[in-house]
Amino acid sequence: MSGSLSSGYLILDDGLIFQGEFHGEVAQAGEVVFNTSHSGYEEMATDPSYYSQILVMTAPQQGNYGINARVWESKNIWIRGFVCLDLQNSSRDSEWLHLLRNAHVPVMTGVDTRRLVLHLRSQGTRWGAIVRGENEAMAREEANKLIENAKREKTSADAADWTKAVCRKTVEDRKGAVASGPRIAVLDFGSKENILREIAARCSLMRIFPSWSKADDILAWNPDAVLLTNGPGDPADVNDGTKTVKELLQHNVKHPERYKFIFGICMGHQVLSRALGGRTYKLKFGHRGSNHPIRDRLLNRIYMTSQNHGYNVDPQSLPSAVEVTHVNLNDQTVAGISHRESHCLSVQFHPESHPGPHESSILFDYFVKQIRR
Amino acid sequence: MNRACAYKKVVILGSGPIVIGQACEFDYSGTQACKALMREGLEVVLINSNPATIMTDPEIATRVYLEPLKEEFVRPILEKEKPDALIPTLGGQTALNLGLALEKSGILKKLGIEMLGAKSDVIRAAEDRERFCRILDSVGAKYPHSKMVRSFDEGMAVADEMGLPLVLRPNFTLGGGGGGIAFSLEEYKTKISLALHESPSHEVLVEESILGWKEFELEVMRDKRGTFVVICSIENFDPCGVHTGDSITVAPQQTLSDEAYQAMRDEACKIVNAVGVETGGANIQFAVHQETGERYVIEMNPRVSRSSALASKATGFPIAKIAALLAVGYTLDEIQNDITKTTPSCYEPALDYVVTKIPRFAFEKFPGSKNVLTTQMKSVGEVMAIGRTFKESIQKAVLALERDPRGFAPVVTDEQRLAIPNSERIFHIVQALRDGRSVDEIYKLTQITPWFLEQLQQLTQFEAVIRAERELTQELILEAKRIGFSDAAIASLRELNESDVRAERKRRGIRPAFLQVDTCAGEFQSETPYFYSTYWSSPAVHSSDKAIVILGSGANRIGQGIEFDYSCVRSVRRFRTEGFHVIMVNSNPETVSTDYDTSNELFFEPLTHEHVSEVLAYVQPLGFVAQLGGQTPIQLAPQLVEDGFQLMGSSLNAIDLAEDRGRFNEICRSFGVAIPKSGLAANIADAREIVKTVSYPVLCRPSYVLGGRRMEVIENDNELESYFERHSAFISKKSPCLVDEFLERALEVDVDLVCGPDWTVIGGIVEHIEAAGVHSGDSMGVVPPQRLKRETAAKIEELAIGLAQRLEILGFLNLQLAVKNDVVHMLEANPRSSRSVPFLVKATGIPLVDLGALAILGHSKSQVRPERFQWQNTKQVAVKGVVFPFKKFFEADSILGPEMKSTGETMGRGHDYAEAMLKALVASSLTLPQGGEVFLSLRDKDKEELLPLIRELIAMGYTLSATGGTAQFLRSNSVECVEVKKVHEGRPHCVDRIRSGQVAFVINTTSGRRSIEASFGIRRSCIDYSIPCITESDAAQAFLLALQRSRHADYSVEPLGQMQKI
Repeated sequence: MSGSLSSGYLILDDGLIFQGEFHGEVAQAGEVVFNTSHSGYEEMATDPSYYSQILVMTAPQQGNYGINARVWESKNIWIRGFVCLDLQNSSRDSEWLHLLRNAHVPVMTGVDTRRLVLHLRSQGTRWGAIVRGENEAMAREEANKLIENAKREKTSADAADWTKAVCRKTVEDRKGAVASGPRIAVLDFGSKENILREIAARCSLMRIFPSWSKADDILAWNPDAVLLTNGPGDPADVNDGTKTVKELLQHNVKHPERYKFIFGICMGHQVLSRALGGRTYKLKFGHRGSNHPIRDRLLNRIYMTSQNHGYNVDPQSLPSAVEVTHVNLNDQTVAGISHRESHCLSVQFHPESHPGPHESSILFDYFVKQIRR
Repeated sequence: MNRACAYKKVVILGSGPIVIGQACEFDYSGTQACKALMREGLEVVLINSNPATIMTDPEIATRVYLEPLKEEFVRPILEKEKPDALIPTLGGQTALNLGLALEKSGILKKLGIEMLGAKSDVIRAAEDRERFCRILDSVGAKYPHSKMVRSFDEGMAVADEMGLPLVLRPNFTLGGGGGGIAFSLEEYKTKISLALHESPSHEVLVEESILGWKEFELEVMRDKRGTFVVICSIENFDPCGVHTGDSITVAPQQTLSDEAYQAMRDEACKIVNAVGVETGGANIQFAVHQETGERYVIEMNPRVSRSSALASKATGFPIAKIAALLAVGYTLDEIQNDITKTTPSCYEPALDYVVTKIPRFAFEKFPGSKNVLTTQMKSVGEVMAIGRTFKESIQKAVLALERDPRGFAPVVTDEQRLAIPNSERIFHIVQALRDGRSVDEIYKLTQITPWFLEQLQQLTQFEAVIRAERELTQELILEAKRIGFSDAAIASLRELNESDVRAERKRRGIRPAFLQVDTCAGEFQSETPYFYSTYWSSPAVHSSDKAIVILGSGANRIGQGIEFDYSCVRSVRRFRTEGFHVIMVNSNPETVSTDYDTSNELFFEPLTHEHVSEVLAYVQPLGFVAQLGGQTPIQLAPQLVEDGFQLMGSSLNAIDLAEDRGRFNEICRSFGVAIPKSGLAANIADAREIVKTVSYPVLCRPSYVLGGRRMEVIENDNELESYFERHSAFISKKSPCLVDEFLERALEVDVDLVCGPDWTVIGGIVEHIEAAGVHSGDSMGVVPPQRLKRETAAKIEELAIGLAQRLEILGFLNLQLAVKNDVVHMLEANPRSSRSVPFLVKATGIPLVDLGALAILGHSKSQVRPERFQWQNTKQVAVKGVVFPFKKFFEADSILGPEMKSTGETMGRGHDYAEAMLKALVASSLTLPQGGEVFLSLRDKDKEELLPLIRELIAMGYTLSATGGTAQFLRSNSVECVEVKKVHEGRPHCVDRIRSGQVAFVINTTSGRRSIEASFGIRRSCIDYSIPCITESDAAQAFLLALQRSRHADYSVEPLGQMQKI
């Protein structure tokens, strides 16, 4: 069991170091975030919102049920590292480990993830690196370099908008399941596949636009509604997307008889909020898991949701005409807004789940009902 | 909080005596619920017949009725109390069935009492299989193909149609009682008749077998607004075919993908809504096909359950408390999460550890019963352990079973033990893996999910590493500890002493960390004082002033159950009141003591020397208390003292004086107290010598036995020979057999007392109904004594006090004595709290456990003022009833003897002995037939004695039947009776008569191995058909008393009085 593995380190940019077992070839740096879901490692790793992040799982044993290409949320693995206590690795089944290794994602096991999580909780999200390292000193040196490079690379002016790195680079059309259903334009900030599936199940035709697409191009396609997807990074850096959404909102106000109902999810929610004049801020350590309670004031119910976000909308910054429709009951943060005049609704959580509970998928039905036909 | 509560007074129904399938988890749930509602300012009226529960302490509810959970007793309570509502979902199946009966009788409607938690429609929808299946259809859920059968013939037709194997599920029974799997037609015929009889509605669901499918359980909650949460997912290690209560289970589920898990979660939500559960907790069991992933619903319970208690302990989410608050009108978002104190209760706990539960069985107590696990529950208790990985968790759980300090000790495997589920299977699986068998082979034999088998295989592979490595290196020890190996296991693999391994480990600084159970995997700050040990993290420093550690009693087992948890919990409260920081250590998830808000800190750990010692080293208490949790902590005390920890209360020497037979007998002699004559026999030759002076009957038992294991009354030479043959493995020079004089027909009593430095309080004398020879845990008892002479009682008290002082007891002492011809004989002394303590507390109102705590703290006479506590002052008579699990163990004999077999007790309180007796019997679910035939088969020495009783039965209108000898005796005394053949005399014989339903009850007294074996069929048929069968002449007298009293049904129901203040 031991012996054959090589030891490695997870090192945070504040100097905290964790020793464990290193699996893989390359060292990587990224923002270190933790997720409390019990299951769904494959969905998370393929979720573009985890772009450039090292994912720490609080559930200790990972990879238990193998892999399944059907549950991929995109065509790539986006995480920059996978950290857990124990990972399935036997002659009978080591599919998950192999998949990560083939994708050049470094994996650390044997990490005291509880201590790591408590640290992130109290100190806030940090950058870190997973390195092999002969000894601690060398590991630190390598890690610091990697972290610096990664930060520089990911935060430089032309790379700051992460949605551009993960979204579709060209327009893509998909047929929906409902011939008489609406045409829906999707502004792709790094969409999870299941958002597209949920939409496809309710529309006749869907066109997916890259995140930098112009409002005019979208409107030229003459959609009945627009969906803003999830995506990675700081919404404040998504300038093109915000501009586009602002123009779409203006269209709705100017042409109430031809409004295109807008529905935003996660990054889509943050971009919409900014377009409406709101401000976003970075949460101390984010919300990532499958157990976050939401009070839905629109539908008058409470449900569990899947969440994955590091930024949030500041309610004080929102214009008074914007209504806070959803509240996170754990910390009372804004989890959804709507603005009657500009015909829009957005939520901070993931009604498409994958992983996580399905109750909030009713919001897709609600969305479709709001579409002017 | 929204004070939407429309109710001022609610009645909560408890679950009655501890039986298999319904144990102290309902004390835990009920206590939590009562406390929550009391805090809301409601008036809470509690009804429960079990005196050993914490919930029946007067402080827990506004008023407590220790009355039978039967309609005729609950009805007058409702009339007297006039509550607004009744909650039937906290007391298991007993309370649910009683709730239904009350509703059906119209009393609830008449008095305007609302049923909360589950309306009767909901209960029926979940419990009535046909209705339930229709609901499943309506939400598109699949379930095993099945047919409801209402007669034997219908049953045969269904078997024809569906083919075997088939599963039988009688409607409305608890713990799957009367159910099972039939593989052959023969087996099916027997089981279907029994199952039809067992079901109160005579309906049995005959079901397609899903043997070998993976089994899961979801613990869910819903509020009146429809908010739905899954508190915990549980995966069974044992596949379908073994009752979930008998399965090893793991939380959270480990082998389902998110896709499969969420589909299950969706289905659970739909089912709960469709069944109509408006508020509260429910559990739903699922089966998932190993290869195809096809999912079936097995069943649902619309109430708190054994698994909801487990889920509460596994996650930290107090299901019962929340269920109670939901029932009176709150919603989940209005209730704060107790653990984080900042987030609401509408969330799903996230776990960053793995929890394993292992049931504990008692097959050895029931000779003849097969150690085979089926869909009918047979376990008597369970342990739970928490580790960061499954391997750490299961090894800790196995250690918590207190079987072997090495955990998975070697066994000799055989194929049968792998293929057929049994209580030892996990040990055989581990051994088979050690022996080199593959995961695949074992999967084929067991259908246990390969992921689990592989985890076990990794354990055994690491054993080989430990054995092979040249040295015990830092890495090797750390890795071994992380996988959960005990020091003893490592020592045994390296052929070292446990103490050497421990010393080496400590020298290297390898110590456990204690991590918090916080419901949120660390996401939120929380202050919960609930911890488990692991070697996956670095130790921190603990700080607390005035800390006292209390050791609990571990898994419930026959002989050590809820009574000891009562002592633990009650004393925790007292120590806290006295200003101490109380730390509880226990491994039993069913108990109140392992509720995180009982003590200041809870350590959920195996009660082994290693684990307890690490807790003590970590918390550095003033001392630890070992006299509250039964025999388990008493046995740990010497090693812990050796480790340098302070034992509080009676010293090791005092304990040893009481427990060491030689030393104790000497003290008794010096006091001039009679002790039964006895001798020590290393073999049969010695024994033959001894019986020359001790003379028959004698009581034989190997040294170092617990709960009367292998203890037998021997009447003659033949039996003596047989005894030594059968138990030769346990008798040797080193461990000789004790051969004691048996005090035949002696009156036996239990005395419990508490001794401070300069004071004593007698808690009371419990007079046993059955004569000496029946284990004290199995005999009925009464306070105040009815037959004991006043002067003898005084003599016993004087003796007890003197002995306690001589032993230098500080705290509790329990004495068992026998009185024969006015001479008091000392049988046994237990330097600890005992089974009878909670019964005495409830019967007398003396806070004996609190006094015990003060004694342990060394409070003086002037502080305690012991003269205030006089047990004779009690006005009511209290009778202890007993319940047995014979029904669950086919082939087991119900005759009582020196080996304890009962699982639980009841209390009957009345103005007089007869009323108390009646209630105790009814509460123990004995029926009192108002007429019909009494079948008698008596041993010679009882015939004369029972003649007046028999005449009285005739006078009351009963008819008699009897076997040859008894019939002849009756006729010669001009008593009319029908003579019936004994079993060996040909058919139709007496057992046929019983099985055909012609007999109302049976009195069958017998002794001697051969006649006991010959009359086995009589007792067994009574068990199978729930016919009262009295096996002791004294018990027969008591039964008659109850029968007479039952003829005028003017029962008094009175709440328990307040306990005396300290």
